[in-house]
Amino acid sequence: MARRSTDTRAMIDRYRWWEMLAIYAGLCLFLFFMLAPFIEGFLVSLKPLAQLFSSPYSFWPENGSFKAYFTMWDTVPGFARYVINSFLISITSTVIVLLLVVPAAYAFARFDYKGMGLVLGGFLAVSMFSGAVLLIPLFRLMRSMGLLNTYFAMIIPGAAFLIPSAIWLLRTYMMRIPTELNEAAYMDGASQFYTFRRVILPIARPGIIVVAIVTFIGAYSQQFIFALTFNSKTEYMPLPIGLYAYFGKQEVIWNELMAASFVGIAPAMVLIFFLQRYLVGGLTAGAVKQ
Amino acid sequence: MGQLSLKTVIKTFGDIQVVKGVSLDVTEGEFVVFVGPSGCGKSTLLRMIAGLEHTSAGDIVIDGKRVNDLPPVKRGIAMVFQSYALYPHMSVYENIAFPLRVERAPEEVIRQKVNAAAAILHLETRLQQKPGQLSGGQRQRVAIGRAIVREPEIFLFDEPLSNLDAALRSDMRIELTRLHKQLGATMIYVTHDQVEAMTMADRIVVLNAGYIAQVGAPLELYHKPQNTFVAGFIGNPRMNFLPVTCTGVSDAGVEVDWQGSRRVIPVEPRAGIEGATLHLGIRPEHVTLERGDFALRLTPSVVEQLGQQTIGYAALPGREENFCFVLPGTRVIEDDKPLDVGFAAAECHLFDAEGQALPRRVDLAAMSVPPAL
Repeated sequence: MARRSTDTRAMIDRYRWWEMLAIYAGLCLFLFFMLAPFIEGFLVSLKPLAQLFSSPYSFWPENGSFKAYFTMWDTVPGFARYVINSFLISITSTVIVLLLVVPAAYAFARFDYKGMGLVLGGFLAVSMFSGAVLLIPLFRLMRSMGLLNTYFAMIIPGAAFLIPSAIWLLRTYMMRIPTELNEAAYMDGASQFYTFRRVILPIARPGIIVVAIVTFIGAYSQQFIFALTFNSKTEYMPLPIGLYAYFGKQEVIWNELMAASFVGIAPAMVLIFFLQRYLVGGLTAGAVKQ
Repeated sequence: MGQLSLKTVIKTFGDIQVVKGVSLDVTEGEFVVFVGPSGCGKSTLLRMIAGLEHTSAGDIVIDGKRVNDLPPVKRGIAMVFQSYALYPHMSVYENIAFPLRVERAPEEVIRQKVNAAAAILHLETRLQQKPGQLSGGQRQRVAIGRAIVREPEIFLFDEPLSNLDAALRSDMRIELTRLHKQLGATMIYVTHDQVEAMTMADRIVVLNAGYIAQVGAPLELYHKPQNTFVAGFIGNPRMNFLPVTCTGVSDAGVEVDWQGSRRVIPVEPRAGIEGATLHLGIRPEHVTLERGDFALRLTPSVVEQLGQQTIGYAALPGREENFCFVLPGTRVIEDDKPLDVGFAAAECHLFDAEGQALPRRVDLAAMSVPPAL
């Protein structure tokens, strides 16, 4: 009698035990490199401040506690505000980017016109500059427009630098939507805007969510540099600048700083986690027969 | 209503002329099939009628009105696409209702029309499903449903069955013919599949390189092709062509000489072709194992057994193309062994050096059901 295999994986996905071991070892090594700062940061947040400067340095916290997660709110009373500011800036940037990029990407994907390649190339060139290179001209621009020390000073440049890559990303996605859907809608008497709203937007939803996630992360991570340069008002500070408040005159309260970092990024992590689940749902919807 | 006229319609893309002056009249309720090899302009012609492509020159007239500059919806036409072009995020119901929603029809009217279309297409139980959950044939029916609800005078089909597997294709062919009878609308259908053309069409338009090669009823194209292109395109496997010399013209037909055998082919005589080289056409299915008016010995290099018929291919000396023959039923034929075959002069087609046919004397009326008076 022939031996029956209970393994349901495809042949191409089957590995020997030592291959599996090597794969997981590689994964662990890679993950450790990426996560080491987070691990160390989390362990620091659990340690009492005195233990941080003890010699020899102990990696694992002795009598560790979550005390820093409670005291951090008293040390910097405006901390919650900084987190909210961060969110406000990132979400507003994302909304602005989406409002501009979704119709623009559709136009770039569907319509052919003179100079389109030049404009797209221009977008690519702009996205090669980081905001830091343009800080001084931007500062003068913000000053002459009277936008310094406002939320707009952090939102507008942030959004502007995120638009090019978002257009490229979404254009590629929208080009995959068959032109025949437009033609079919046109045959049925639908206008360009009707087709865009009722046909293209719903189908492009997974792509739009990807762009929203990328833009949100981008806005969240790049707000530091704009906040540092264009804003000096404490109440408008976003999280990365707000963390500086834990740098005292005499000493840095490391454990509370680390705790604050984790508390600060937690809402963003939760948000992205849920958006990703939503993204997978969007991708499995029935598509057109190619 | 549903009468369509094309008047020397031309389409150019840049410097390339794709449709080179096509004139055609389609009467109301007719099922017309555009057929031709890829790149012959059939799809472009359909898209111009649809209003998806601009017409470079010439007029498109529907019911006496020039529609060149009208958008599709004002032409009273609906189109079914090869890829179905269903909206993947909408239910079957919403897909079919889409044209009605565009024209802001009342909810009651929409429900009634969608249900009526679903009943015609046997989609009643599928209305709440998404296109992704349907089979290819069902998706195609949804696409047709979306065309039906607009109650167009002319339906356009762009290779609607080419994404389906063979069994489903023949089912859908029957279904489309039934639908045409039921709706009585004018239908224009593009395909490269001659079986679809032969079985469904009232009239077939054969296109070649941007021109109409011939327009006619399916059997007319089969029995009286006007040129070598149509003769070779209609019929599968394609017609064999043999070079012959004209030796005489009489009332009975044209006498030709092929490798020493002289026979009279019953075609309309034409003066002044004695001595000229002509092309004799014989369809593979008309070749028999008996010695007919013409006999030839050939050595089949490949023999295909289909059970229902036996197909052989043999090289003829001095000819590039294989000579093909189709014998009914299962025959024991060895490849690479000489075989004597023949064919009757009455089954032959004759073409002049330019490829134009000398019309055959075939009574087409005897082959079709007489039209009801």
